[in-house]
Amino acid sequence: MKFSKMFKAAALLGAAGSVALLSGCAMNQSSALNGMKAGGHEYLLTVTRPNQLHVIDTETKQVLRSCDVPGTFGTGAVQPSPDGRTAYVLTNGAEDVYGFDITNCEITFSAKQSQNGEKVKTFISLAISGDGKELYTVQNPTRKLNDRYEVLAPRLAVFNTEDGMDAKSVRTFPVDRRITKIMTMENGEVILGGADIKAINPENGETRVLSALQSWARGADWIPPDAFAMFTQGEHVGEYIMPYFTIKWNGAPGDMEQAEFWWGMSRIDIATGEVDERETVPFEFIVFNWITDPADSNILYGAFNQLSKHDLSQNKTVAITDLDHTFYSINMDRDRTIYIGGTSSDISIHNPDTLEKIGSIQLSGDMSTSDLRIARLL
Amino acid sequence: MNNNKSKRALLSGSALALMGAMLTPAVSSAADGETLIQEKCLLCHTQTGDPEAPFSRISQQRKTPEGWQMTINRMQRLNGLVISHEETQAVIKYLSDTQGLAPSETAPHRYVLEQKPNVVEDVDPAYAEMCARCHSNARFGLQRRTLGEWQLHVNTHMAINPTTELHALARDRSWYDIAYNDVAPKLATDYAFNDPAWANWQKMAKPDLTGSWSVAGFMPGKGDYSATLTVTETAKDNFSLTLQGHYVDGKKLQGSGSAKVFAGYEWRASLAVDGVKMRQVMAASEDGSAMTGRMYQSAHDEIGGEVTAVAGKAVVALSPAAIKQGQLQKITIIGSGLKGSVSLGDGVQVVKVLSRDADRVVVLARASATASVGLRNVAVGSAKANAQLAVYDAVASIQVTPNESIARVGGNGGKLPKVKSSYRALAFSAGKDGQPGTEDDMRLGYMPAQWSLQPFDEVAEHDKDLQFAGSIDSSGVFTPGDAGLNHERKFSTNNVGNLKVVAKVMDGDNAVESDAHLLVTVPTFIKRAIQ
Repeated sequence: MKFSKMFKAAALLGAAGSVALLSGCAMNQSSALNGMKAGGHEYLLTVTRPNQLHVIDTETKQVLRSCDVPGTFGTGAVQPSPDGRTAYVLTNGAEDVYGFDITNCEITFSAKQSQNGEKVKTFISLAISGDGKELYTVQNPTRKLNDRYEVLAPRLAVFNTEDGMDAKSVRTFPVDRRITKIMTMENGEVILGGADIKAINPENGETRVLSALQSWARGADWIPPDAFAMFTQGEHVGEYIMPYFTIKWNGAPGDMEQAEFWWGMSRIDIATGEVDERETVPFEFIVFNWITDPADSNILYGAFNQLSKHDLSQNKTVAITDLDHTFYSINMDRDRTIYIGGTSSDISIHNPDTLEKIGSIQLSGDMSTSDLRIARLL
Repeated sequence: MNNNKSKRALLSGSALALMGAMLTPAVSSAADGETLIQEKCLLCHTQTGDPEAPFSRISQQRKTPEGWQMTINRMQRLNGLVISHEETQAVIKYLSDTQGLAPSETAPHRYVLEQKPNVVEDVDPAYAEMCARCHSNARFGLQRRTLGEWQLHVNTHMAINPTTELHALARDRSWYDIAYNDVAPKLATDYAFNDPAWANWQKMAKPDLTGSWSVAGFMPGKGDYSATLTVTETAKDNFSLTLQGHYVDGKKLQGSGSAKVFAGYEWRASLAVDGVKMRQVMAASEDGSAMTGRMYQSAHDEIGGEVTAVAGKAVVALSPAAIKQGQLQKITIIGSGLKGSVSLGDGVQVVKVLSRDADRVVVLARASATASVGLRNVAVGSAKANAQLAVYDAVASIQVTPNESIARVGGNGGKLPKVKSSYRALAFSAGKDGQPGTEDDMRLGYMPAQWSLQPFDEVAEHDKDLQFAGSIDSSGVFTPGDAGLNHERKFSTNNVGNLKVVAKVMDGDNAVESDAHLLVTVPTFIKRAIQ
């Protein structure tokens, strides 16, 4: 960690002063569903311990309702449906998926993945087809025999959301190990975020590499990147983003004097499938996630102990501010308001231009590793 | 087998208070252990048909008593094993005796059995990231398995800790494939089930541990102590014991309890010393002449120190173990049954014998100003010592031990207590070359020091770690801060910190300083018999 640089950034930020709140939602607000503003109105979705799904109005910053999720807390992964009406929540030790009508907490879908003697874990991997008819998970099964465990191959599982309660997968296809964040592209393929980022056709299982990371071919001057994402976001700009860390040796591998430490990313446009894979900014502090500014795709925001703003055109961190405590996840509504959540029980709200904290939402329990997703209720 | 006796022992209040996890008096013979395995374990495990390895998965592993205890705990927690405490003890005893580890197999990793804190391991790179990023080297270094067993053990990891392959240093590689196909075969070679060391040890006659032992040890906050340990066998491999002696400042030390021996040499005792529950974990030497290990507080296993027991009458240690040229000094000679005249070697005169007890002789000694620098043999009557007295000219350097250490925040209404850390200053003279830090330096033993703390680096200074992370007392015991978020701190962080522990030893008017690294960190939420 470059200590002096952090001080400097904090001082700069302090001088920036405060900026007025941005204007409200721009979408048509005339329609309503069960008393909730619809027509594209945005709601934040997250899960807290012991196991509640919270629906938060981005306009009022108020928790509208909290839905009890069956089973023990899993990882808190949440996937909104394309119409924003349903929130699919991974629960019960990351084994089961429940779909909630966010307008009334009604459970409209469930899938118990551990079946037929298998114990199936899903490491946050939830995605939904563009028409909302298919739900995708990546299943990591093991089987307990009388005195030993068997490790089975991971697979993409496809569920019909219309199957409702106690749905069973209708198709499965083999996939790599160690897949976390997945997302559906507009062409119907599902992005699989693992050691390499691949896309799978959920109709036939055909898989192609989108972004070779662990198996990239840059030669000995670079270490294969450590790519990892525990949280899904990017729906505000229609992209999938996977941060990574790598080292460029600039000489003998292991020589830390010459080495450059870099953050990088693979950013995929879900409309076109175009991949933007590159180093972003020097590794000076930890971020858990990035999100892209909808007004300028060169601007990224990251969060962990600090909220940071990065300019890809300069490969620079341009602003940074200390947070009240550690946070894990970050997202942004269409007004560019930044929400930072995960870890503890409060969502921190920030102005994207100054990074200043402009609000806070207190929840009833800790978010831990939960997602912080945006649902646009149609 | 003596069920009635064990019940009586359990019902007696003081005895109940003394029971450690594995110290219930014997309720079963070896045959009972085998019967229990057949009754309890074969509900899931199967008969292999091989008389040399009759039970699936069980007969292909060897472990320490603590290792078997962890296995049984896991079977209870995850697999529905229903087994009483007494039955558990019988199974642990049976498996440790018949599928245990030889003394030479446990020797490299005894610290973890002794719950010794702050040991920095030197781990084979093949294991450093694959195993030791979560476990101590001792965790897998104290197990012996066949190849098939090591591979099934990888599968157990995948099933019960499925995110193992997603951790940092796992997700950047094909963790499962490497673990199963590369690491497991190496483990099967390095920690082989069929190591002849165990077969040889099983054939050997096991030491008789009953009788009287001369004991020397150290306890943080109290200092060096001397004692006589008296051991009486109550049933096969089960013992009652008394410990009687003195701390070096003259205060009396008194304890009693019980002990059990596994695999013929693994001594596990539970006792109360001056009202404090303690545990002893020692290994008997193969010839039965000595036991070495650690004694620590049951409730705070970081508070403890090394202990050495030598069979019969002997000089075991000196406190202090060095005297400066021209100095008049009190020296405690630690050992049992020390009779006759005291000799401290050339140039060191015994001015006066201050006191004699069963466990020690305290003398006032003077080293002449011209006494040559070097080590002296010590003798009391006919009892000669292994311990030697160092005559020195000056303290040239000190080392703070442990050099790398961890303390953990705790308390503050939480369920986990604070984990302290304790330090000692080990002194050296420069040796003939006059240069400290070279090979001819002479070890002078531990010396009293003044203790203080400093921030470890610029970040620690900025984050005010010194203000929040804890404090150190005059005996070198560091007590960390309270657990939980602290809103007075940057990021509302816990009272964690990155500190230097500084020792100052006065050698006449000359101050000799050194420091060690202390990380004050968060609690360990899962405490295992073998970390």
